[in-house]
Amino acid sequence: MTTPPRTRSAAGRFRLARALTAIAVGGATTVLAGCGAGSDEADGPVTLEFWTYSLKGADPAAQAIIDRYEEEHPGVTIRLSEVGGTAETSSKLLAADRADDVPDIVQVEYRALPSLVVSGVVRDITDDVADARENVDENVWALNSVDDRVYGVPQDIGPMMFTYRADLFERYGVEVPTTWEEYAAAAETIHAQDPDVYIASFSASQFEFFAAQAAQAGSRWWSADDEGWTVGIADEASLRTADFWQDLVDRDLVSVEPLLTPEWNAKINDGRILSWAAAAWAPSVLYSVAPDTAGQWAAAPLPQWTAGDPAVPFQGGSTYLVPEKSEHAEEAAEFAAWLGASDEGSELLLDLDLYPGGNGGRAATLESDPPRLMPEQTDFYAMADQVIQDTTIPMTWGPNVNVAQGAFSDALNQAALDGTPFRDVYTATQETVVEDLANSGYPVRR
Amino acid sequence: MTTDQATALPPGTRSVGGARRDPAPPRRARRARRRLVPWFFVAPAVAFFVAFLLVPIGYALYLSFRGLRVEGSGAYGRRVEGFIGLDNYTAVFTDAEFLAGFGRLLGYGLIAVPCVLGLALLFALLLDTPRVRFAGFARTAIFLPYAVPGVIASLLWGFLYLPSTSPVSHLARELGGGPLDMLSYPTLYFSLANIALWSGVGFNMIIIYTSLRSIPSEIYEAARIDGASERTIALRIKVPLVAPALVLTGLFSIIGTIQLYSEPATLRPITTTISSTWVPLMKIYQEAFMNDNLGGAAAASVVLAVGTLLVSLVVLRFFQRRTFGGDA
Repeated sequence: MTTPPRTRSAAGRFRLARALTAIAVGGATTVLAGCGAGSDEADGPVTLEFWTYSLKGADPAAQAIIDRYEEEHPGVTIRLSEVGGTAETSSKLLAADRADDVPDIVQVEYRALPSLVVSGVVRDITDDVADARENVDENVWALNSVDDRVYGVPQDIGPMMFTYRADLFERYGVEVPTTWEEYAAAAETIHAQDPDVYIASFSASQFEFFAAQAAQAGSRWWSADDEGWTVGIADEASLRTADFWQDLVDRDLVSVEPLLTPEWNAKINDGRILSWAAAAWAPSVLYSVAPDTAGQWAAAPLPQWTAGDPAVPFQGGSTYLVPEKSEHAEEAAEFAAWLGASDEGSELLLDLDLYPGGNGGRAATLESDPPRLMPEQTDFYAMADQVIQDTTIPMTWGPNVNVAQGAFSDALNQAALDGTPFRDVYTATQETVVEDLANSGYPVRR
Repeated sequence: MTTDQATALPPGTRSVGGARRDPAPPRRARRARRRLVPWFFVAPAVAFFVAFLLVPIGYALYLSFRGLRVEGSGAYGRRVEGFIGLDNYTAVFTDAEFLAGFGRLLGYGLIAVPCVLGLALLFALLLDTPRVRFAGFARTAIFLPYAVPGVIASLLWGFLYLPSTSPVSHLARELGGGPLDMLSYPTLYFSLANIALWSGVGFNMIIIYTSLRSIPSEIYEAARIDGASERTIALRIKVPLVAPALVLTGLFSIIGTIQLYSEPATLRPITTTISSTWVPLMKIYQEAFMNDNLGGAAAASVVLAVGTLLVSLVVLRFFQRRTFGGDA
């Protein structure tokens, strides 16, 4: 009586175990499945595969750009492929490189560049795009270089600006803040009049913003020299910015919540969140979530730590890279240089509602209408252009930005919830980043 | 299981065939050919088993001993993949975040598993009572949420949880209360368990219900003649008889808990309470696809798989004794 059930259950157990292992291990091995683009012949027609999130195949404006290039360059076909944002694109590019099956042009945000360079997956195109250099300002061009070699051509840039509800700022009787001190005072004035209304949300996921704000205060989160890396996430200037936000969060003057959630969007629409300190791309993002509020917004330069000091870094923006293993690297670099840096290409990029990095596109912005979110702000692009000239703080990103970003955002959220010191978050992130660099084998100054 | 039957069959046929036919010389050749035939039949299964199970497991194990290390010097030295010994496993076992993820799983599991199973059993028993009406409709209605994919269910519930979009919060405000934050601690655990409950009860109910239907009705008749009420029948006869189905659904639920991913991952962008490494699978995803640390992710996957296996074996062994009368 005992034996039959035993054997049956043992077999069942084995089968189950097998299934379990398959499911659990499957996650880790998914990366084996690379991407399946074919390669082309060396001569004759060339197809360039372009991974981008700005040029969408279904968007007529994007298609018009591609058509124009293909018309001017017979034999070249561009295939658009939307693979996700910067993080997804980077990890897919790494997987594609391991599978020896890469695209020809890849769009990522600037902060991802160093990690891709040290992974050896992007090509040094210094010589291929040398001619494009004269069409791009020095501070923009610098975003595309790592260790004095050029790896990309800029698509768009993020001159830092402060976007706010002009009508509600007036109703609550606050001026546009020019310093962070005034910003805190404005936050207090607004919240005192209506406890449901905040000057802004405090979102720990805005890693680049916190990095930029620390840079404004004189901190360098990553810097490299002959002896290796120096990490400054927990330096004195950086910790002062932590204290600034700690104070606002402790006094409940900013709402602690992520950006661009249904909740946040509702508050933007209802006038319960009144501003967003970000970059010149913010108005088009806000317009997409709150089109009905168009006309009530305005833009101003970013608040400063020291009154009258206009210096800011860039926040966001993206670059075109050519993968090391691309079989059409020359054609790819030529296309990237045309789209990002030539007058024709960068002017066309303006049609995609982004802020072009090339001089041609920048000149064209001065002739164009203000963003749809603020049709009355006719000086928007003149102001943005001035901000670009004031963007004199260089941003150097490290090879492990993602590690920092994950650790920082998780810890900052936790600290905001638990009421623990923000300084500890910066210190812990510093340790994580230094530890990770050292583990990978980089020389790091401790 | 196909494999087992296919290999079990041929020895029998061979001896029968051998007894019937006798010519000596071709016998050996025919025997060799016959020996190959079963292999031919199991070949497809073996090929799939090797290609899609053994090779990936082997590759994951291989990866778990490898990692990216800098070759050359300077701040921009190239990262190259190489053998790094047990570094990845050391990192996994000393990673407080990864281990904390198991703690959160436990909190979630202690709420979700008993609730899902309890409700599934209750609904199955209710549907199985003799005078039930609209049984077909009720069964479908309870089962239907299972057909909604986890990500969509999470999005749907996410909107219901956020104060600005939630009708519940709206109602609470109308009644004079404040907005309800259903995504803060410790409510978050219940909110997540609720999603599992909503989509999981139907599936488990069907399994238990099917098992109930296979109980011969003579047993109930005998019980009724002895004067047992429907409640007594349910508790004293039905529940013990569907115990194997309960063990099965319980095991599935525990495994499902350990593999919790899509619900917290989908809700993460809309709340600050869920970190990017909230549960072990999210941590593995973060390592593999954000931090470009495939080796570390593979090591964590191996640890998770072995852990799941151990938990399953313990659960099975424990309940097997009781429900199947193990050592009798």
